[in-house]
Amino acid sequence: MVNMGPQHPSTHGVFRMVLWVDGERIVDAEPHIGYLHRGSEKLCEGELYPQIITLFDRLDYLANYNMELAFCATVEKIMGITVPDRAEYIRVILCELNRISSHMLFYGTMGLDAGAMTPIMYGFRERERIQNLFEAVSGARMMHNYFRIGGLREDPPDDFAERVAGILPALAQGIEEGDKLLTYNEVFLARSRGIGVLSGQEALDYGLSGPSLRASGIPDDIRVIEPYSVYDRFDFDIPVGNNGDTWDRYAMRVEEMRQSLRIVEQALEQMPDDGPIKAAGVRAIPRPPEGEVYFRIETPRGEMGVYLVSDGGDKPYRLKVRPPSFANLQALRPMLRGVYVADAVMILGSLDIVLGEVDR
Amino acid sequence: MLSTLKGMLMTLRTSLRKPVTAQYPKEHLPLMERQVGFPALTWDADVGEPYCVGCMVCVRMCPTQCMSGTMMDNPLFAEGKSPRRKMIEEFEINLGRCILCGICVEVCNFDAIEMSHEHEISHFARNGRRSDLPVLLEMGKKYQAESNWISPAVKKEAIAAEKAAVAAAAPPAAAEETKDAPPEGEAK
Amino acid sequence: MILLIPLAVVLAGLVSIVVLAIGYGGEDVALLLGKALALLSILSVVVLSLTWVERKALARIQQRMGPMRVGPYGLLQPIADGLKLLIKEDIMPAWVDRPIYWMAPLAVFVPSFMVWLTMPFSSSLVLRDMELGLLYVLAMSVLSIIGLIMAGWGSANKYGVIGGLRSAAQLISYEIPLIVIAITIAMMAGTLNLTEIATGQGNTWYVLMQPLALVIFLLAGLAEVGRSPFDIFQAESEVVGGPFIEYSGAHWSIFFLGEYINTFLVAALITIFFLGGWSGPLLPEVAWFLIKCYSVILVMFWLRGTMPRLRIDQLMAFGWQGLVPLSFLNFLMVAFAMFYGWPDWVQTVLSLTMLITASTFLYLKTASKKVRPTVRLIPAREVRRA
Repeated sequence: MVNMGPQHPSTHGVFRMVLWVDGERIVDAEPHIGYLHRGSEKLCEGELYPQIITLFDRLDYLANYNMELAFCATVEKIMGITVPDRAEYIRVILCELNRISSHMLFYGTMGLDAGAMTPIMYGFRERERIQNLFEAVSGARMMHNYFRIGGLREDPPDDFAERVAGILPALAQGIEEGDKLLTYNEVFLARSRGIGVLSGQEALDYGLSGPSLRASGIPDDIRVIEPYSVYDRFDFDIPVGNNGDTWDRYAMRVEEMRQSLRIVEQALEQMPDDGPIKAAGVRAIPRPPEGEVYFRIETPRGEMGVYLVSDGGDKPYRLKVRPPSFANLQALRPMLRGVYVADAVMILGSLDIVLGEVDR
Repeated sequence: MLSTLKGMLMTLRTSLRKPVTAQYPKEHLPLMERQVGFPALTWDADVGEPYCVGCMVCVRMCPTQCMSGTMMDNPLFAEGKSPRRKMIEEFEINLGRCILCGICVEVCNFDAIEMSHEHEISHFARNGRRSDLPVLLEMGKKYQAESNWISPAVKKEAIAAEKAAVAAAAPPAAAEETKDAPPEGEAK
Repeated sequence: MILLIPLAVVLAGLVSIVVLAIGYGGEDVALLLGKALALLSILSVVVLSLTWVERKALARIQQRMGPMRVGPYGLLQPIADGLKLLIKEDIMPAWVDRPIYWMAPLAVFVPSFMVWLTMPFSSSLVLRDMELGLLYVLAMSVLSIIGLIMAGWGSANKYGVIGGLRSAAQLISYEIPLIVIAITIAMMAGTLNLTEIATGQGNTWYVLMQPLALVIFLLAGLAEVGRSPFDIFQAESEVVGGPFIEYSGAHWSIFFLGEYINTFLVAALITIFFLGGWSGPLLPEVAWFLIKCYSVILVMFWLRGTMPRLRIDQLMAFGWQGLVPLSFLNFLMVAFAMFYGWPDWVQTVLSLTMLITASTFLYLKTASKKVRPTVRLIPAREVRRA
């Protein structure tokens, strides 16, 4: 029995995996989570709606804007608010840039798990560009607290469009460089092809979502099948894998970065130059009507769902978060049976989990 | 081997580029205008007192409840030097608990608290960054000086006054226009 | 624990005297000891500089600066590292096999050092020029494998034992191509004396005739030292720790020293075998030798920065199915060339052909356009319509 303990250089957060090993092969694996549990859902019941946005920032701390969007869109749905166009476009641009930065980190850690130490530096170099942009827009590199129920907190700076257009070519080049370094590298292919294969039906059965599901051949993307915000106005492609192995899950995210760049370009073109950035008539502390609503978005990790039960007050009665990484982790155990111990690290990395949202 | 060679060529090319490192703490990267640092209380230099009147809205709204304060009657108001009836007496922010969300700034009705650019506040003691009123005012004054701070209320008045001036110039022209054609306002 | 360092030095010194004294007879013992210690200090300086070069080279590949704060441009960083390792607490688990635990670092370090007794730095700078120098070098470098097994066993940690045995298996398997290539070079040079192999190349370095052999030797040497892409038994991100898992502080610094001495050894061997040793215009011979060694070492660091690491079974497969047959084929080719007296360019052509065939074969099997995995792109509007 080998314990990949909570402190381990490659468990992507405080995650413990107990492996039963026979020689070099894994016989069974048992994930232990909960090391990052902070009681977010319970805290939400005691906080006003504008304060909950700060909690959601910290759930999936690599895709902050997507988390804020999930929450704000849920409340907007239950209250029936229409967000003005300009705010929607800015939200989409920021969310897609956040997707790119999250996948850049994934690319780096995947290289690190395989043993290459340069991809992570390249990935973080690209992340710096995006985070500098975020700092110019919202003031913070990570925990932005920028989206509000009904729109945005304030107008982005005047040079927002120029700034975004300025980093797009550099990001495209960064993605290509990363691709050249790792994607078709013989050693990386040997380490990741045919490892941890998950068929499409199995993936659906385990409740997988996001790039891990698309790697197994199912073209499910919530931005497309159940569009939210203004995603139905963009023309982009959905990458779908052929084998459902680790390499496919990796290549999904690299391809998604390129598609996100396309979406950002189109959003920049379509964005109205001025207009309100907050829906009119929304109070500072909203009081949603009684009822319940479930809303889901496509975060870089998969389907993020927010289930809100409101009793008409200024604090939610119950707020449940359906995190994608939590469901994706269920597929870890069957994938790990029969593989080498050294592959366990690669498979775990390819699922791209963030413990912040697994444990909440 | 071809992919490996391509990868090696790429790392070679990268090694010839200028490193992107900024050697902290000798070199600091430039801060953005909106960069969010720890909250600080602003100082009204015209009257000589803090903007903060101690309404405690920020204290109530803080998600981590890191602030506390007390309110007193403003002695300068009794002397007729200040329009503020009440004044903040004691104020403490545990900067170690602050999550830099900026909600306190949003809800403040008196432009009394701003997110300064302070972000290097390491301390040796565990709760050593519990900052009281003089420290917060110091931070605020520093932030006001370095960012040429104008109180948002004053800014809003200025914008409104400008709009009113534009509108005042337009009506004489509008009176001559017909209903269909929009009046050609003066270029701002 | 810090006693280990002087112990290592003393042991190395004593063993060196024994080796050097054999066959000399009347030489002054003190002089021999002095020479051995001088060699040890030179090697230590080289190793320290190697750590600095490695960190700087890796940093530049990653578009960042390496150490910059300790001394100008971080030049004193290795001294800081060494100091840190020495003053660190040596944590020794209570149930280790004490004699083996203590001896393992020495068993790795002393043979690595003893190889250097006969390595020439230039045509005149060699401590003891042996006629069977190549044999001595290969024999001594294999001895340090025992040290690794001892380290694994002495750790009293079942995963340390497994790691130690795995690393020993890796090292032993990669010795074969190393030795076969060395024999090939010895055949071409007609002697086992290292100095003569180097000077016998003249202006036509052996790399011109044997590019394949250089590549095989480089890869096998990397596997011998335990560097990327073959460093699975040292990697931190692997679940099962390697043989060094229970070592810290001064004990570990001896392993560290041994590893870098081995790296330098592989680079020096490549220089002597393939790159003409110390031949070159203008600069003194030692300078050319060091320049060539460091160039080879930079290539090794370059590989480390670029490649992910191979899994242990893939590593063994690559060794046994790739390098061993290739090295034997190369040997046969050289044997035929020498027997039939073919001119040199025939060897170059054949060697290049084999190299290109082997790499193309590898590429076609794994990563070529037809074989590489692909990703389908489905436009969003198609999914929307459905």
